[in-house]
Amino acid sequence: MTINWFKRQHLITLMTAAALFTAPMTFANGPVGEHVNHLSDNLETYSQEVNWLSTKVEEMISRYQEGGVDEAKPDLLVEYWEEVKFHSAIETSYVPVYASIWQGLFGVKGALEEQASIEEIRKQQRFLEESLWQALGAVKLAAQYQDKGLTEKVATSQANPSNSLEALDAIKSRLDRVVAKYAEKLPKEAVSIVHDTYLNLFEGVEGELISLDADLVEDLEKDFNVILPQAIQKGQSIDEVRQVVNTMKDKIDTAHSLLEKSAEERKDVF
Amino acid sequence: MQRRTFIQSLAALAAAGALPLNITQVLADPANAVSVEDLPKLEGELTLYLGRGEGGLYENVIKAIEKRNPDLKLRIRRGPTASLTNAILAEAKAGVRRADLFWAVDSGAVGMVTSADLAQALPADLTGQLRDEFQFPDWVPVTGRIRTIPFNTERLTADKIPDNIMALPDSDYSVGWAPAYAAFQSFVTGMRILEGDKVTTDWLKAMNRKAKKFAGELGVVMAVERGEVDIGLANHYYTLRLKAGKPDANVDLAFTNNDAGCLVNASGILALKEGDLPANFIRYLLTREVQSYLAEEACEIPLVSGVAPPQGLPGLNTINPPQIDLTRLADLRPTIDLMRNAGVL
Repeated sequence: MTINWFKRQHLITLMTAAALFTAPMTFANGPVGEHVNHLSDNLETYSQEVNWLSTKVEEMISRYQEGGVDEAKPDLLVEYWEEVKFHSAIETSYVPVYASIWQGLFGVKGALEEQASIEEIRKQQRFLEESLWQALGAVKLAAQYQDKGLTEKVATSQANPSNSLEALDAIKSRLDRVVAKYAEKLPKEAVSIVHDTYLNLFEGVEGELISLDADLVEDLEKDFNVILPQAIQKGQSIDEVRQVVNTMKDKIDTAHSLLEKSAEERKDVF
Repeated sequence: MQRRTFIQSLAALAAAGALPLNITQVLADPANAVSVEDLPKLEGELTLYLGRGEGGLYENVIKAIEKRNPDLKLRIRRGPTASLTNAILAEAKAGVRRADLFWAVDSGAVGMVTSADLAQALPADLTGQLRDEFQFPDWVPVTGRIRTIPFNTERLTADKIPDNIMALPDSDYSVGWAPAYAAFQSFVTGMRILEGDKVTTDWLKAMNRKAKKFAGELGVVMAVERGEVDIGLANHYYTLRLKAGKPDANVDLAFTNNDAGCLVNASGILALKEGDLPANFIRYLLTREVQSYLAEEACEIPLVSGVAPPQGLPGLNTINPPQIDLTRLADLRPTIDLMRNAGVL
């Protein structure tokens, strides 16, 4: 098949599938292929790419069985993934699964490099394939919502939330991205996103939030500045980092409810 | 366009060769704030560059203005104040003007635009709504905030806190600060202006040996409250907001005297486009209703007459901010360099 040589975009607009499809676009910092705004037109290509990736992984494992790790060339896995258009389609549609794909890629790559048993390699392969097919499903669902006009066009510049509730939604998307970057083996970038999210988004919310629930703010302060960065810097597993992020997202949901209620009760300006 | 040749700070203009501005002067004289009921309707198109801040409360003000003026078509570009300032300067350099109004969260950013001759002169009857000391020909301060020393009330009382910011390194107290925070950097710029670079560098180095670093100033105040540090350096509203959510919080505010430690900074708005419409938009921000809203909801200090200060701002009759040209706070690059050289950043 013909592969579109789509260079990897490190900072791409995100629409979380959780916000899936109801919340507005969250963040973007770089150029993105226009195909992500025409998902339905590209579903066949995405399917072909997923099949192609699966074939490539299978071929790599076969080479490993025949000639060992040198023959397998596991480094190629990341290159394959970075070359496909589907990469940005899932990254802009549903970051949690995007992170799982990276987790799966490095799972297979690591197992090959460590010359693990074929059972372990197959286990990692299954996880990767499940993630890829799950991602394709998410993109198909996103395409349906896109066709119905329920999602906003993916933008190519950073959006600025206009209020605290939007900021909290954006924070959740950024936290998903932290897991994604960590899964990509980019821990410094992941920590940088944590810090930026704190300074540029949460810091603008916490002043309002603290007058509603000081303990919640204190918890989140600790999460942003200690728990999450340390989990990454100590090299904890992706699942452990994901758990920290999920706990934070639950707290963000609580904050959202509090601020929403507060906004309803706030006096009018005029 | 009128070039502002001599822009003084809120404090300096208050003084104008006389007494230094006292915060009580800011908050006293409840005379003649204008009501929104007295303002003309806004009709036409405007583009507002809006510095991000206050958790969307500025947005609420803007939405209220839009709701009251259905014939106003307002386009808003949002972003960090520093980024928008750079955008305005870059656009001007390229010979274009996209912003009609710029609402910045700090006066340093305002200074960068006014000093580039980009701000329009405002009608005297508009600037005249502010007290004399707050009247600037080409920008309007909207609300103020003051640097403070939050302290742990279980360990200290206000009278134990040095009233000289330069004396802090010699105190026995543990200190929390947030050097990466924009408000802190404005404070350091203020210190540079008042004390000079060498004294400021020495102060930073001495403080750096004893201060605990936090990412933001709310974090500083919270650390003070739980006793992790004895005192902190932060804008006033963090403590007020914390106390609003936790009335028995172990934290209160102390103020230094006539130095950078009690610097008053302000958000401000200016017009880049000539005409009545931008000026009339600004009038809405100075109304009794908007000023009260921002004081009550954001704990910001109102800068027009007749509006009560935020609840819980203590000891106002004892506060004596320094005379300083606030627009010089825009001179941030030397501050960052100095902080890096001192090992603080």
